[in-house]
Amino acid sequence: MAEFNIRTDSVDVEQIMRQIRARIKEKRGVDYTEQQIQELANVKLERFLDPKGVRSDLVQQFRRTRGTTPAPPNYNFEDTTLYDSHRGVVRLFRKLLNPFLKLMFNPNAIAHVLHMQGQINAINAQHASVRDELDSLYYEVIHNLVLEVTRLGIENKNLKMRVESLNSRMDFDERRARALEGVVQYKPGSGPSREERPAPARYSGDSGRSQPHAQQHRSQAPQPHQVQPAQPLQQAPQPPAYSRPEARPEARPEAPPDAAAELPAFATPPGVQAQGGGATEPAADGSGTVRRRRRRRRGRRGGRGRAQGDMANAAGGAPAGSDAVSSTPPHGDPTAHAALDDANSYEGADQDVDSGSDSGDDEGPDTAQ
Amino acid sequence: MKLAVVVQRYGADINGGAELHARYVAEHLARHAQVTVLTTCARDYVTWHDEYPAGVEHVNGVPVHRFPVDHERDVKTFARWSDHVFEHRHSYLDELKWLHAEGPKSSALVNHIVANRRTYDFFFFFSYRYYHAFHGARAVPERAILVPTAERDEAIGLGMTPPLFRGVRALMYNSPEERRMIQAASQNEDVPGVVVGIGSEIPAQGEASADRFRQKFGITGRFALYLGRIDRNKGCNELFTFFLRALPALPKGLGLVLVGKEILPIPDHPRIRHLGFLYDQDKYDALAAADLLVMPSYYESLSMVALEAWALGKPVLVNGKCEVLRGQCIRSKAGLYYETQAEFVETLRAIADWRSLNAALGRNGQQFFNQHYAWPVIEQKYLDMLARLKEADRANGESTKMEAEPGFLARRRKTLRPAAEVLSELPSGPVLN
Repeated sequence: MAEFNIRTDSVDVEQIMRQIRARIKEKRGVDYTEQQIQELANVKLERFLDPKGVRSDLVQQFRRTRGTTPAPPNYNFEDTTLYDSHRGVVRLFRKLLNPFLKLMFNPNAIAHVLHMQGQINAINAQHASVRDELDSLYYEVIHNLVLEVTRLGIENKNLKMRVESLNSRMDFDERRARALEGVVQYKPGSGPSREERPAPARYSGDSGRSQPHAQQHRSQAPQPHQVQPAQPLQQAPQPPAYSRPEARPEARPEAPPDAAAELPAFATPPGVQAQGGGATEPAADGSGTVRRRRRRRRGRRGGRGRAQGDMANAAGGAPAGSDAVSSTPPHGDPTAHAALDDANSYEGADQDVDSGSDSGDDEGPDTAQ
Repeated sequence: MKLAVVVQRYGADINGGAELHARYVAEHLARHAQVTVLTTCARDYVTWHDEYPAGVEHVNGVPVHRFPVDHERDVKTFARWSDHVFEHRHSYLDELKWLHAEGPKSSALVNHIVANRRTYDFFFFFSYRYYHAFHGARAVPERAILVPTAERDEAIGLGMTPPLFRGVRALMYNSPEERRMIQAASQNEDVPGVVVGIGSEIPAQGEASADRFRQKFGITGRFALYLGRIDRNKGCNELFTFFLRALPALPKGLGLVLVGKEILPIPDHPRIRHLGFLYDQDKYDALAAADLLVMPSYYESLSMVALEAWALGKPVLVNGKCEVLRGQCIRSKAGLYYETQAEFVETLRAIADWRSLNAALGRNGQQFFNQHYAWPVIEQKYLDMLARLKEADRANGESTKMEAEPGFLARRRKTLRPAAEVLSELPSGPVLN
């Protein structure tokens, strides 16, 4: 709570009360649940709506028509009113002649009726004043209702936007998952390129051999996307295809354009690169890897290449707590978490795959850059 | 000097505001004069049922002479008369009937006053609105000093009260607001009067222990304290409503502790704690432990618990609709006031959250109490007034100015306006100068 602008050794209670009232007025002008409104507005709506400005015309109209009507005139009619006069003489004569008048007709009935009427008028006036008070209450109620409806409207819009956002993320994740599954299927099935390549060379770290592999891969690239998504699980136990993804970083430029074009965004499927990047740049090249990771993280924070790269990480089998884990979207998208969990649980079944996944993790974003 | 203190109820276990006020005054004046208390046998302020034995007893060393009441109060009859005289045009006789219905009607007490008018130098009549004060003061106007303890309620608008205020020798007001209201209602500016108020039996510094209270009652957190009867008339229902609604916005852990007899049902909530009636030691310990005192009453002529809180250096939060409390807060610079839910929240937060403000208000309260309500100050004001009246008696002789009551026909004429209407025309708001 903000402090008041007074010195503690000279407390002015009225001044404090004025400040408190000003604060209350200020709050009510905005909204008394200002915090909620701001939380909502800060997320997405501040560009579209200013909650301070959201007011219904109803309130203004109500204010305009809320004039106080003066009480209707009334009179007090007592039993002496008929004979009353400001002139004493007249009053005296009337009093003297009163018995005579009563002989002629019964003035008491008239006096009584008029007295009753006066009372009825007073009661009506009282009711009217009560009505006025009620009107002001209604005004408050309607005012509050309008504020509530406004607030709910804002919240509703915000929730709609969140639902749309979640939908698009889900679609995106599904496409990404499909792509990854295709990649997984593709690697073991890329027979010709594997057969031509001597196995030891893949681990030799000889980058000079990467070029032919990349060229061969280019011709094979479309294949993964023609494979059924359910098959990779059965193919997983073939270790060589998965265990060396770190041995291809230099092959990035040779990533097959067609395969990359088929994926939704930023990243080329890591499996494709792994295949093409038969040349090995050992994982021991720590500085380069770290640099790439940094770049990749920056890219994620900047909103680029996040989703696909993450999924690539997961498919590459990054261990829990590794970069793959930290690649959860900064605002904690639960669907992304779920996707990562699924991918990890799959990869976790095969330690060989896990062990070689780290550099594969780096691959996607780097390619994207 | 022989003094009589005349009050509707009296006893060490009676904690009503005016009654406690009378007891404190009697006990303190007893150090300077021979004081006798004249009162009824009633203990319950609703029924006036005779509970104490008639006769003389001593309470804290002061002789107390009790007289039986003629009849107990019939609540329905009193309510009917109240409605009639407060809301309708009525006669002087109607007001007398209202007064008798209100009670405690004790003819024996008034007869004793009349019979012993020469026995006492002065009579202090407490609470203008009761039978004993009206008839007692009219019986001995030349020696009557009225302590009106008037609140801003309809009784002040009754037609029979202005002659009373004009006819007594002096008035001891509780607050500037009360003086202004009575002077406006009765035009009694020429009657000697002084704003005195009342002190309290505040424990010496260090005797009130917050730790002792917390240990005894198992209260560890911060809390706002309410002291007094837990009653709708004291604004407690509004306090509960405001507090419960304000909970989400209040400082974390700030509770409400209630001390006093429960008449209104207390909401069952973990942050509201009712301790029942407490003896003085525990009460002052509670004040020492509290962050602040809350006083939600609409009608007060003087809040003694607020003075006690100030004496112990605690700020108060009062109902701003009570002009006396509001005026006291402004003059003392020792408390804030609220009138709405939002103000309640903000003022409570301000006092509880802002420690420097809390401390400053508390310090101001202590200073205010010492300047105006410490017992030496109060006693001196009483003694000065007695000396002034004695001096006037010596100079001019006893003068009786009480206006005669209306005659047989006049008192039956419905010429008096509704008391509520009269009240609405009286000035309101705190007196700042």
